[in-house]
Amino acid sequence: MFQYEKKLQYPVRIKTPNPKYAQIIISQYGGPDGELGASLRYLSQRFSMPFAELKGLLTDIGTEELGHLEMIGAIVYQLTRNLSPEEIKKSGFDTYFVDHTTGVYPVAASGMPFTATYLQSKGDVITDLHEDLAAEQKARTTYDNILRLVDDPDVRDPIKFLREREIVHYQRFGEGLRLTTDRLNEKNFYAFNPSFDKQCLNRQQAQNRAKS
Amino acid sequence: MLTERSKALQCLSSLQFILWELHLYLDTHQDDCEAMARHKKYTEEYTAMRADFEEKYGPLSAATGSGCAWLANPWPWDTEECVK
Repeated sequence: MFQYEKKLQYPVRIKTPNPKYAQIIISQYGGPDGELGASLRYLSQRFSMPFAELKGLLTDIGTEELGHLEMIGAIVYQLTRNLSPEEIKKSGFDTYFVDHTTGVYPVAASGMPFTATYLQSKGDVITDLHEDLAAEQKARTTYDNILRLVDDPDVRDPIKFLREREIVHYQRFGEGLRLTTDRLNEKNFYAFNPSFDKQCLNRQQAQNRAKS
Repeated sequence: MLTERSKALQCLSSLQFILWELHLYLDTHQDDCEAMARHKKYTEEYTAMRADFEEKYGPLSAATGSGCAWLANPWPWDTEECVK
């Protein structure tokens, strides 16, 4: 189960609203490499993870991503406070405003609504961990691009925090992948799918134990 | 200007973040006794600081409070200045 903590992982305090920034940053809410996709990816993939370390890692990182989703929602919310119709028209935020007013909706900066096609849950630990490593780098690039477009230090500060988290998660997933391959056939990591071919995994683990 | 509550929450969040980083690290390094000892030390500090915070400013989790104490502003996405 999940239980809510009434606090952000890192503070968001934006003094000056800016609907243009909101329209860019919303991509990390519901866009192709955003936090919603990240949390759904890890929290879905974890069910078929074959080792305790990976069940823990995907649960923990997936949960942290929900906290990041909340931070992005808070950034968008604070950037769209007290706007006048003129500001909305001038900034180009009008195309979002017409459908959602200033409600926070999972959508990419391009206007494409969130879709589960942004993520995969393949039931194969090597495949899934490679997807996760790539996802962290794609999110890191998106945050780099946001930092290229946004000047306000109040907005940059939490974005920089989120960017750093992608790098830490990439590191942890890399370690998860190493823990996995250490337990497989060292001559052919793809000899079987340890999430599905349980008998092969048990046999391999017995062999690895006998060797060491 | 940060309110006293914001400052206290920031201290608590910093400590919680240290704990969380150690927790993630321990997912892939479960035999690292030094990290485990550090996690234990910071958990004790965090538990005490959190109890102080909640006593002063109200519950941070649905498990530790209900009704008006839980519902009281500010919610995390509101800056305290914009609620007042």
